[in-house]
Amino acid sequence: MATVIGGIGTSHAPTIGVAWDRGQQKEPMWAPLFDGYVPARQWLDEMRPDLFLIVYNDHVNQFFFDNYPTFALGVGAVHAQADEGWGKRPLPDLPGDPDFAWHLARSLVNDEFDPTICQEMSLDHGVLSFLPLLTDTDWKVPVVPLAVNVIQHPIPTPRRLFRLGTALRRAIESYPKDRRIVVFGTGGLTHQLHGKNFGIKNAAWDNEFMDRLETEPAALSELSTQDYMERGGTEGVEMIMWLAMRGALGGNVKRVHRNYTAPLTTGYGLLVLET
Amino acid sequence: MDDVISGAYVFTGERSARSYALNKMANSLSSPENRKRFQADEAGYMRGLGCSDTQIYLVLRRDWRGMMEQGASIYLLLKIGAAVGVPLPEIGAHTAGRTLAEHNARRGQL
Repeated sequence: MATVIGGIGTSHAPTIGVAWDRGQQKEPMWAPLFDGYVPARQWLDEMRPDLFLIVYNDHVNQFFFDNYPTFALGVGAVHAQADEGWGKRPLPDLPGDPDFAWHLARSLVNDEFDPTICQEMSLDHGVLSFLPLLTDTDWKVPVVPLAVNVIQHPIPTPRRLFRLGTALRRAIESYPKDRRIVVFGTGGLTHQLHGKNFGIKNAAWDNEFMDRLETEPAALSELSTQDYMERGGTEGVEMIMWLAMRGALGGNVKRVHRNYTAPLTTGYGLLVLET
Repeated sequence: MDDVISGAYVFTGERSARSYALNKMANSLSSPENRKRFQADEAGYMRGLGCSDTQIYLVLRRDWRGMMEQGASIYLLLKIGAAVGVPLPEIGAHTAGRTLAEHNARRGQL
């Protein structure tokens, strides 16, 4: 039987990928971010996961507004990299896990979550910005990506994301093969990319969110979408995807590692929780 | 839900519909071939994809704030920015009514 061995909440941002590709890991502005991922990577090495289930959002790179799914599941054997407008990064395509992904599709639909099923789904910085910080880039661990619309409103509610997480757990625990699965919630934390508050962050709320995600995630999921945008910016609403990760972990969790730094326009959070 | 939150337009379905041609043009810049065609003749490229005269004018003037007022998605403006060599801080600052220098001067307090 498959099990959820833990969860990782992590920000994603194009700038993380750019800094990584340029080798800026030790520069003063970036070291607090990159050094913060080292303990998370060590934990992953020790936990020997077989699969990453990553709840993330596409930034209009795979999907456009001609067809914009609320939830979309990548069931392909390979996930290509999307060109976000700057050209592709020097990274190989990611392996998928079609057998688990189709099981997940059946289980989610049976649980009244109905994702768009994608046999081809290219991935953008929503996955590829942080992943090289956590594993070797020969990608030994397959990835099953689950994209969420957090861009074109109406978007799913925070509560819906938390419940999605509980459905992910049921899907994992009903998978007959032995698999050690880490669930990721990505995005955020607070950032505002346009308008009069461009560049604003909210470190107090970012840290409160990470505190409460550990101890009272159900209460966090009762906040409204507008609450999240007022506190964390219209783009900061991405952080609701961490609720899906937390929902997949069940009741009590042990915090393994946490990091926070905000050198540019986004609060970069990292949280590693063990079941 | 409010239409403006945190001082910013919420990207609603209605805005998405209103700015559809502009966003679709920007989305086409995800391919290197299209970026080259756009760079060679911005107005002609946009006209060929059904953009309005207003949308073309705003792009030629690098009026990011005006594009947002037309309902554009910030993620699509980033693709236009990538094609014309204008990075996020400059785009974001413009939508706030500031120059990049003014934005950078404020950054310590954000």
